[in-house]
Amino acid sequence: MQMTRSSSSTITNAPIGIVTGAASGIGAAIAAELKNRGWLVAGFDLKPAGSDCDVIVDMSDTRAVAEGVDQIRRSLGDIDAAISAAGFYEMIPAAQITQSQWNRMLNVHLGGAFNLAQAVIPHMVEMKSGSFVGITSELAIGGGSEDSHYAAAKGAIIGLIRSLAAEVASSGVRVNGVAPGPTDTPLLTPDSPWRAPDYLATLPSRRLAKPEEIAYVVAYLIEEGTFTTGEIISPNSGAVI
Amino acid sequence: MSIPTYEGKVVLVTGAAQGMGKVIAETFAARGATVIVNDRSDDPRLHELAKAIGGHVAVADVSKHDEVQTLFDQVQKDVGLVDVLIPNHAYMSMAPFVGYDHEDWWKVVNTNLSGTFWLIQSALAGMRARGAGRIVIITSGWGVIGWPEATAYSASKAGLISLVKTLGRELAPEKIIVNGIAPGVIDTPQLQVDADAAGVSLAEVHALYAKGIPFGRIGKPEEIARTAAMLADFRMQSLVGQIVQVNGAEIRGRV
Repeated sequence: MQMTRSSSSTITNAPIGIVTGAASGIGAAIAAELKNRGWLVAGFDLKPAGSDCDVIVDMSDTRAVAEGVDQIRRSLGDIDAAISAAGFYEMIPAAQITQSQWNRMLNVHLGGAFNLAQAVIPHMVEMKSGSFVGITSELAIGGGSEDSHYAAAKGAIIGLIRSLAAEVASSGVRVNGVAPGPTDTPLLTPDSPWRAPDYLATLPSRRLAKPEEIAYVVAYLIEEGTFTTGEIISPNSGAVI
Repeated sequence: MSIPTYEGKVVLVTGAAQGMGKVIAETFAARGATVIVNDRSDDPRLHELAKAIGGHVAVADVSKHDEVQTLFDQVQKDVGLVDVLIPNHAYMSMAPFVGYDHEDWWKVVNTNLSGTFWLIQSALAGMRARGAGRIVIITSGWGVIGWPEATAYSASKAGLISLVKTLGRELAPEKIIVNGIAPGVIDTPQLQVDADAAGVSLAEVHALYAKGIPFGRIGKPEEIARTAAMLADFRMQSLVGQIVQVNGAEIRGRV
């Protein structure tokens, strides 16, 4: 775990958010949207995210995540929102998924979300305010061929979110999820079947989701959806309705 | 700022004389929209609201197909084509299923479900002419999980959920995006009706309902209005055919 604070991170009274996977794709779009809305953002990623305070960390490393959160609290202040967006994607037929591939998938997605939640939510409960958003996937709801380990990890995040929401609701802390459909990020390789014109033509929206759209939904959940908790919102171009 | 704004957009909100509809109208107006407020009778509160938000009044009983058509003709003449439609009106009556009055069944279904169907049918021509539109249907948590003695209401609201899904699929290719909201218990004048029916004070009803909600309080109309404003965001096209449940973690069911 390694932390870099940018010199511009001196705004006072700005709300403070942690975004994991902030260096690219959906995480980067969420970090940018929060910046637009006046937040101070700490980006947790394997590589620098260019946030107000970058933390280089592997989200599957429980201790390193906890240390990163502690350092952000010391250097920026109490955490108002935490968004778990770190992840990766690979398609493998179920019979061929190795134990290490299975474990890595669960450790990064489910473990990463849990590690972040466990590090930030107790403080939110103490403050009696705060918002946690986990990025899950439309595949967790609808499933997909060759997606069993990814869908299992993302599906478990939904159970985590709903249970956490019930557990901390009385403290005024909200926990929600966003389940994007195929989104135009580097996670989808140029030859990904999700980019194939034949597939896109089957989507009611006729196109991939854009990372900014996911970020708008996250921003709603954090700032505007103040009675919305335990909910999963799925911007998925109509792939799963 | 990145909160969705509605400058230059025409928004029609039904059931706007009070409760959630009123606050939805105020929210869209505050974000720049020209808002048309509808209710079934020429209620002075509707005129006060329109005056306060610089909007327009359009009275119609939306359960009647011809009145809906007349409403849209009038709106187009006076204001223009509707960009955003928020069917929010509702009629509710509760009674045990076996003795449930048939006339009341049809009144609930015709108002809540058919009324919304007519509204969307009439709104489509304008949205197609503009090449885009947003529809946010206010359904109910009871449409998701059902509720004893609310047969007609729950069925009508479940029908609306299906309308969201079907029209989400059917209209998205034309950039007309349909989504819904399933509110839980929200602080509206309905709670006074509930209090009167139970013979208790409004404060007691608030406390009783709050006890059943993990979040520890009932919702505010503003919280539904802000959700509607998110769902009507013209920058978004991939969020479609979905029901957003706004209920303080009260309802644990599948949409």
